Amino acid sequence: MILKVNNLRKEVSSGDSSLVILDDVSFSLEEGQSLAITGPSGSGKSTLLGLLAGLDSASSGTIFLDNIPIHDQDEEERALIRKEKVGFVFQSFELLPSLTALENVMLPSELKSEADPKSNAEFFLERVGLKDRQHHYPNQLSGGEQQRVAIARAFACSSKILFADEPTGNLDSKNGKLISDLLFEVNSETDNALVVVTHDHDLAKKCDKTISLQLGKIVE
Amino acid sequence: MLLGLSIKLIIREIRSGYLTSMLVSLTLAITIVSGISLFTDRLEQALSTQTEEFLGGNLKFESNKNKLQPLLKDLEIKDSQFMEMALFASVIFSNEEMQLSSVKAVDNSYPLIGLLELENSEGVYLTKSNPKPGTVWMDERLQNLLKVKYGDEVYIGDKSFIFTDTINYEPDRASGNFSFAPKTIMNMSDLESTQIIQPGSRVEYNYLFAGPENEILYIRNFLEEIKESGDEIEMLDEDSSSLGRAVDRSENFFLLGGLIAVLLSACTISIASQRFTRRHISYVAILKTLGMKTLHIRALYFLIFFYTIILTLIFGLFFGWLLQNNFINIMSSYFPTELPAPGLYPLVVTCLTAFICQFGFIYPHILKLLSISPMRVLKDDIGLNQGSISVISAGLLAFFVLLYLYTNQITLSLIIFLGVISFSFVGIGSIYLLLGRKNLGLGASNAFNLALSELRRRKLGNSFQIFAFTVAIGLSLITFSASKNLLGSWQNSIPEDASNNFAINITKEDKDQMGLFLKENNIKSTTFFPVANASIARIEDDEEIQIDRNFNITWIYNLPEQNQILEGEWFSGENRNGISISNEIAERYDLRVGDLVYLKVEDKEIKTFVQSTRTVNWDNFSPNFFVIGHPSLFEDIPSTFITSFYIPKEKQEIAAELMREFRTVSVFSIEELIKQVKEIIDQVTKALNSILLLTCLSAIFLALSALQDGFSVRRHQSAILRTLGASNSLIKNSSLIEFALLGLISGILGALMSYSGVYFIETKVFQATANFYPELFILGPSIGLIVVSGLCFYLINGIVKKSPKELFT
Repeated sequence: MILKVNNLRKEVSSGDSSLVILDDVSFSLEEGQSLAITGPSGSGKSTLLGLLAGLDSASSGTIFLDNIPIHDQDEEERALIRKEKVGFVFQSFELLPSLTALENVMLPSELKSEADPKSNAEFFLERVGLKDRQHHYPNQLSGGEQQRVAIARAFACSSKILFADEPTGNLDSKNGKLISDLLFEVNSETDNALVVVTHDHDLAKKCDKTISLQLGKIVE
Repeated sequence: MLLGLSIKLIIREIRSGYLTSMLVSLTLAITIVSGISLFTDRLEQALSTQTEEFLGGNLKFESNKNKLQPLLKDLEIKDSQFMEMALFASVIFSNEEMQLSSVKAVDNSYPLIGLLELENSEGVYLTKSNPKPGTVWMDERLQNLLKVKYGDEVYIGDKSFIFTDTINYEPDRASGNFSFAPKTIMNMSDLESTQIIQPGSRVEYNYLFAGPENEILYIRNFLEEIKESGDEIEMLDEDSSSLGRAVDRSENFFLLGGLIAVLLSACTISIASQRFTRRHISYVAILKTLGMKTLHIRALYFLIFFYTIILTLIFGLFFGWLLQNNFINIMSSYFPTELPAPGLYPLVVTCLTAFICQFGFIYPHILKLLSISPMRVLKDDIGLNQGSISVISAGLLAFFVLLYLYTNQITLSLIIFLGVISFSFVGIGSIYLLLGRKNLGLGASNAFNLALSELRRRKLGNSFQIFAFTVAIGLSLITFSASKNLLGSWQNSIPEDASNNFAINITKEDKDQMGLFLKENNIKSTTFFPVANASIARIEDDEEIQIDRNFNITWIYNLPEQNQILEGEWFSGENRNGISISNEIAERYDLRVGDLVYLKVEDKEIKTFVQSTRTVNWDNFSPNFFVIGHPSLFEDIPSTFITSFYIPKEKQEIAAELMREFRTVSVFSIEELIKQVKEIIDQVTKALNSILLLTCLSAIFLALSALQDGFSVRRHQSAILRTLGASNSLIKNSSLIEFALLGLISGILGALMSYSGVYFIETKVFQATANFYPELFILGPSIGLIVVSGLCFYLINGIVKKSPKELFT
């Protein structure tokens, strides 16, 4: 099992009162499976994804990522897990503006001190169809192209699980379809599990499992 | 509507903390400027009053002849007051003792300016009157030497007087050549009956005038016409005392400190304005999209910054007042009375500084912001070209105006301005080249590679950041170095065993015995300098042009200590028939090396020439001379001798013993003067340290602003890197290495900048010799390394403490 979540709760304090964002969330995901997390805006989807990827810590509950209890780990230990096992695609791409497409994709391999980050990055850029634009900076690329670079970067780190936060949210329908097809296509070539937060029903339908959140709770 | 919206916006900006660095920098600049200008304004007013008192009036005419009284009939004086006094040295007898004293006979208008502090059996009191006929006042030293009590009889010449009061303080201390000898004041109407003044007696007549400036100038012109050789005219602005010079130099330093602090603040304000405009791009685009006219948006932002200026002016002036109060408290012992209230000038300078900062460093950015297209609401990649020519030009113009405002000298302002511009240009260019070409990738495998890659990747931004750090370090070091060297040179000029007593009128016969007396009592004296009074005439085309004053001249073999030859040569071998004159005399009477002169000493005339000009340190408390010759030139010239020596506190009775032993010798103590100058140095040190502290604070704010500016980008990068698995230590260490290197480079450049600045200040501003200061090259890099890394540590800790998720929001 790649992911096992039990009674997850996230609470944030807001002035004198506290706000419950996630409550009693439990589910699991097998290796190589894909999961869609859906729900209306403000239902806690992105918060859940952040907790699953170890970007934030929960108020209570447990998360086992590849059998590692990341709920018990501090930020440094979680950073190590993210480096070794996790890939991430953001809605707003989050590329480093001062790096070219190639350099952005090289980043995860550089962080792992891999031998040849350049060849690896070139391979994935070619795979997402951007070999010709590898020396362009993010501001010289369209939104769809930036997201393809982000996908190449997510796969370049040889992760076991990939998290995507509304990967088509900032794109038009044509580019959105292209990106979702590409995401599943490249994912199928690896043995990665995939967790996608999305409003897009077509994208959700492509996943093996779907959970829907409402006011921080799983409703179906 | 605009008013309401502008108030809402400024409150929100202040609450959000984004305006903090701008507000603090402006407040700091205004505090320093108002504090310094308020203090120097009050100090100048007080000094002017003190100098007036020191001189005894606004104008003084000195003559060896009692000739002015009849001539004054031709002078139509309406609003000015006038007084006359005669000064001479005379032996005063009591029933037990006798003692040489400096006697001042004053008329009924005495004192023209200020009050006397006297003491009698009823206590201490202040008065504005002269001694009644038949009475004398004496200082405590003379009273003790003569062993007299109030009511006792003393004799001056043929007349007896009753000693009624002790002089604690007299306003006209600059009067007379004998002013350091024990003092006596008597009434002018008694002078004739003493029978002291006989033809050939050495008497100096002083005529003092006080009144409105235009009439004083009229009187001065009249006096210039009747002036003969040996007469002298002194005006208020010619204070050349040690104290006057000490305070002048510290005032220069205060202004320098103020200028540096303002320039540092201006840089911070400029960086903060850039950040402000970047943040407000979307606001302006939205306001434009919603149909607000550019004119209204301009008015809105103008109002926001008008409030900023008013707010900072209120706080800055308040803190400035406290600062000048602090300075005044520190220096209170120098100003026993309340300082005069400040004039309008400090307020004008402060407000001008604040508005120049607004129009030079803030408003151009706002104008740029107003040019943003409403399309920005649709395409968020539309940005501003921050470094446009108009923004840079406005900043440079404001910089120049500030320089001129503080130096009041167009040439000096131009030199500093062009110097700073060239330094910036060369500095930023060299840093850009030094950082080298970037490699492929971010080098994120280890902290050192990541740091190097970041340095190269943000080359232009880093060059400007290094420049900001360089300015902060360089200017702080200039302030530090100037204060240290300024004080150092003062303190060195008064060593612990500086002569605290002068002895004059030593006859040739007494000279050797007195030397023996001092030796027996373990008192080390300076050379016994022969002294004679001489007049000088310049020979031009066989014509004699008399120089309008007499000088005390001496003749010695070796160049006195702390004298430096400027032009020509000191006496050596056969080359010894000329005279050496001080550079002041050379400038004042247009005398150059090689000029032929006649020296009239006693009844002899010596034809000679100017062999050298030299600088003289008048503050070294040793006998100093305007004119020096070689002994071979003055053989057979009758003279007395002068020397100075240090008598430790515990051996003070030796001075009295010396005076009893050698009756014709006048010994006067300058212990009080040395104490006063030492006190001033001590007080100025404390005031300078406050300025230094505030300058350093401004520098730290500049460094922090420059760092903060780059850290918003770093925050985003750190969020991405950490999502991809970068450890906190990698982010932290790489940032620390990067900023340590930035700090080190800035420190080295800052040291170079401060060295050039100090060289310029020493040679051009203080007109002194330039020195090499190796400590600058240790301090600069160390401060750069420690301060920049320290600030980076503080900022990066704020980033790594947050989770990547928090950093994205």
